[in-house]
Amino acid sequence: MAQGIINRVVPASPFALGVARFFVHGTFLLTTLITSFSALGSLPPTILRPTGAMKFLPWSFYDLLQTHSGMLTLKTVMLVSLLLSTAGFLTVMSTKTSLLLVLFYQGLLRSFGHFNHDEMIAVYFLVVLAFTPCGDAFSIDRRLGRIKKQRPAFAYAYPILLMQLLLAWVYFSSALIKLRVAGWKYLTPDNLPALAIFHSLDNLHDTAFRAAFWLPQVRQYLPIFVALVLVWELLFPLAVFFRRMRWWILGIGVIFHLSTLFLMNIFFPHQLLMYLIFVDWDRRKK
Amino acid sequence: MSIISKLTNSWAQADGDEKRLVVKYAILTAFLFLPLFWAFLGVRNLYPIAAWNVMMAGGDLERGRSYCMLRGETISGETIDVAAIELTGALFSRNWTMVNAAIDNQSFKLKSLHPQNEELLRQFGGIENLPPGARIPDLLQAWGDIYNKREPESSPKRLKAIRLDMYRWESGRYSDYDKFIETWRKEL
Repeated sequence: MAQGIINRVVPASPFALGVARFFVHGTFLLTTLITSFSALGSLPPTILRPTGAMKFLPWSFYDLLQTHSGMLTLKTVMLVSLLLSTAGFLTVMSTKTSLLLVLFYQGLLRSFGHFNHDEMIAVYFLVVLAFTPCGDAFSIDRRLGRIKKQRPAFAYAYPILLMQLLLAWVYFSSALIKLRVAGWKYLTPDNLPALAIFHSLDNLHDTAFRAAFWLPQVRQYLPIFVALVLVWELLFPLAVFFRRMRWWILGIGVIFHLSTLFLMNIFFPHQLLMYLIFVDWDRRKK
Repeated sequence: MSIISKLTNSWAQADGDEKRLVVKYAILTAFLFLPLFWAFLGVRNLYPIAAWNVMMAGGDLERGRSYCMLRGETISGETIDVAAIELTGALFSRNWTMVNAAIDNQSFKLKSLHPQNEELLRQFGGIENLPPGARIPDLLQAWGDIYNKREPESSPKRLKAIRLDMYRWESGRYSDYDKFIETWRKEL
């Protein structure tokens, strides 16, 4: 019965899960392709602060990695693995190697800077895809006739539901943490302008928009805006179960992330791209 | 029929493969969500386990904040702003916190230190004697080299020095954003 409900709520075809594999792995493939790893390799390992699981690796490893040839090797291996997993070739293995490599690379970036959350949801999607039959369709494996096994619709529907729930958790838990940590203080008129201006002062952020300096002029209205954002975050899980509300909730999400870009010079492109998990690819195919 | 009895019946009717699939997906769900709940309850990030605590404290107008500008001195004598994202784009959204951590000497506060940092600490006789941003010159050297590699040898835009200027927004009001604090400068 539960399987039947899940199969009705989310797309339940190997094609839909294959498309999810394509855009999640493809996102990391594209960013790896356009990123200069040699510049990253020029940074001194002495400013690294290995975070979480990255602490298990010895300094001699980081010394080897933080070189031109070390970074070239990492980039090449990542590109090969991500190309295979995006195309769905040797999917059972390539989705797992891509997961490990991306996990390592993202940990390295966080060991230089801070625990930025943008790519994390996509990393969790990689975990889901690595342990589900995401190469059964929309893949080279399928074209080559390597997929023989017939699986129930639930095998494809549940991973998609799980990824949607993970994305919903991101926003829902974010709102709860704000309320737990800051409480009603989060709704003071100076919260948003002070934060936004601070993020607009330096030239070390990725963009240099100055819209934040306009916020003090409308500070009395900002608590309403912030409260609406909190309500939207709390309601985000409804996007999983109610199709009609879904596009409103996701639409507000797009506006929200664009506004953080212009007001705070903070952008979450990976997280935004993961909204594609809510598209009913079976319907699009028809 | 109650939901529980419906579930029990459908479980009884399922074949071995289906049961294995359900168990596998239950394990996968627990593997993902249990650490996330743990991180959420403790509001703690432990890579790769994330608590979505982005901007959880909000802004406080009364609290002063420091920030940095990366600038280059060209061989033609000009001082230009240098965007860190154009040098180390891979760090995407993390350049500013890398600089803050380096100024705060956070790489010297780890349980396991890089051997070169250990050596530097020995030379200074402890972290309390270490100047702020002890590794900033190394970072500036790396950024300066990346910048100059992209400019032709004859370009007047090549840098002869690169520096990090620190300012402070004393705050309390929406003005006076740029009280100068200090500079780290590296000849290239």
